[in-house]
Amino acid sequence: MIRRPARWVLPAMIVALGACAPKSPQPVEITLQRFFGACEAQYGASADVAAAEGECGIITTLINQFNAQNPDIHVKVNVVYWPGYDQLSAELAAGNPPDLVTMHQSVISDYSQRRLILPLDEGMRSAGIDAANFTRVAREGVTRGGRVYALPFDNWAPLWHINMNLFRAAGLVRGGQPVLPRSPEELLQQARQFVRATGKPYFIQSMVNEPSAYARNLFTFLMQQNSDFFADPRHIKLQTPEARRVLQLFAQIYAEGLTGKNQDYTAATGAFLNGQGGVYLVGTWLIGTYEEASKRPDSPLAGGYAVVPYPQLYAGRDVTYADGHSWVVPNAKRSELKTRAIFRVLRFLQDNDFQWSRTGHLPAYQAVIDSARWRSLPHRDEIAKLVNSAAPLPAGVQRQFLIQQIISEEMESAITGQKPVDSALADAERRVNDILFNLL
Amino acid sequence: MTKVRNRIPGAALAAASLAMAAPLLWTLLLSLKANGELLRGTQSAFSPPYTLQNYHEILGHSAVFGWLLNSAIVSLAVTLGVLTLSSLAGYGFARLRFPGRGALFVIVLFGLAIPEQSVIIARHQMFSALHLHNTYAGLILPGLAAPFGVFLMTQYFRALPRELEEAAWLDGASHFKTFRRILLPLSLPAQVTLGIFTFLSTWNDYWWPLISATNSDRYTLTVGIASSQMNFAQTNGLGFLMAQAVFASLPILAVYVIFQRYIVAGVARAAS
Repeated sequence: MIRRPARWVLPAMIVALGACAPKSPQPVEITLQRFFGACEAQYGASADVAAAEGECGIITTLINQFNAQNPDIHVKVNVVYWPGYDQLSAELAAGNPPDLVTMHQSVISDYSQRRLILPLDEGMRSAGIDAANFTRVAREGVTRGGRVYALPFDNWAPLWHINMNLFRAAGLVRGGQPVLPRSPEELLQQARQFVRATGKPYFIQSMVNEPSAYARNLFTFLMQQNSDFFADPRHIKLQTPEARRVLQLFAQIYAEGLTGKNQDYTAATGAFLNGQGGVYLVGTWLIGTYEEASKRPDSPLAGGYAVVPYPQLYAGRDVTYADGHSWVVPNAKRSELKTRAIFRVLRFLQDNDFQWSRTGHLPAYQAVIDSARWRSLPHRDEIAKLVNSAAPLPAGVQRQFLIQQIISEEMESAITGQKPVDSALADAERRVNDILFNLL
Repeated sequence: MTKVRNRIPGAALAAASLAMAAPLLWTLLLSLKANGELLRGTQSAFSPPYTLQNYHEILGHSAVFGWLLNSAIVSLAVTLGVLTLSSLAGYGFARLRFPGRGALFVIVLFGLAIPEQSVIIARHQMFSALHLHNTYAGLILPGLAAPFGVFLMTQYFRALPRELEEAAWLDGASHFKTFRRILLPLSLPAQVTLGIFTFLSTWNDYWWPLISATNSDRYTLTVGIASSQMNFAQTNGLGFLMAQAVFASLPILAVYVIFQRYIVAGVARAAS
């Protein structure tokens, strides 16, 4: 007897046949760990990089665009609280690091010396990334012992952000350009002139709870005097006439009231925005904020904002201390497929460096620096010379974040008169060398 | 004169309350302002326009409800675990006689004096070996070691009259039945106190989740909202930062409102 097939047989056969159909391969998943915050509400669904603004907006849309254009790879983003190194260290200790991580170039030595991140030379070559295309400062920033340990993303340096309206009132504008000092004596003279004319401090600085700005000033002006304060990357020399000169200059500026006092980063940033001083010593990342303010008629910066690299105050060389952001690949076992995917992401990030440079940071690629579209962005012509004049600390110096903090603490004590300059320099030197001596 | 004197304590209390509430109100006001306005000066917090944009940005992050869920799961699990283990251990130390009881209790008390920082590396390595990082178990298990809970429950059980247990035994109840039916209900005030403090401290914990739950899928709310801050958030994103603070404290506020009576009683009991 032939029985009618049960009702469920046909649907079951269809499902079974469907299961046998060829499936599209699963995309390779890469975990990219970064800081720069989260802005998913605004940019979570957008791949329009050109329309994005700010660090978070641009990096979010960049990754969205990569995922949209590369269906065989999925970049999963892990956002961490700045700077994220505690988490990275914990992940490395647990043997489960991400595939790509943002890292300051000044921090690379901490990880490369312990082989916690991989040299990228060969992979970059296979992905068509040529380190010869990096700017000099970017190449120096990511190279350790002749090997490239990171894809540079940008460089940044402290700058002089200038309120041209106040400079004009103080008679410090000539031919539409700010008059800048060429020596410590000229700096003091111009600062006094500024204070007399405007009744406001010449400098605005972040001086309270400040982990690095003091150190950036010191490094810059030591480099300008050709001081080889890190001749040995494991030993700093700060008890020198050059260092004493720098601290004494800033102590005098403070004592004469030529600088705003008792301001932290937030207060100083707001003070410059509100026209409370002539020059704000801070990095590239605030160019966009102040440029926007200069377009508002009710702003004290209206039509009067300029930004320049640190002027050369000492007869040595024209140089400014610099750092930068980069991408590293933590040391872990990965499939060939995944490794190739990582370098495709890196190549994509390199190819979109112009978009990232809209944040205000200096591009890491000479071709972008030379491009008309980058030069046409506000104030980029003024800061372009940093490509040649910016310099990081020597590549072998480890624990640079901690070193900056120690130096900043001691400099604050000396500049605000709580400690003699010589004692502060001696203490800074001893504390830094203690750290470096005890490195593994 | 007497009238004035009678009003002084009230006025002092009102002033103190205002001083306590001022930072919270300030946080709320800042959270309702645009970041750009606050960059120019925080005095703008006292005048309109106000906006919910900062809250929109928090809620627009698809992961935030996952972080809330993670925090809720971890906090509730730790609280339940601590209550169970501390009650059992407390009863044992307070009422049962067994060899080494005194020494064991001293060892537990030593746990009160050992800071988390001193064991964190060993704990992290142990959890790595057990593949427990980025799991709920990895977030919950360390919280279950609660020497304070054991101490609190031990002291509480010791203070209860023995006659209650003896009456139960006369009626043929076992140790466990006596614990479950007689002593446990009587210890409810202590349990509530311990539960609330455990929940609050677990909810607010940042350090261990930061280094154990490194995958954003397992972030707790504290780690998640910290990660979504941009560099220099205190300057460029002050309104957003304050909105995050308000948002993160809302569940805690709800817990406080629901259990207010017990919290006040618990604090008073702890003080006495």
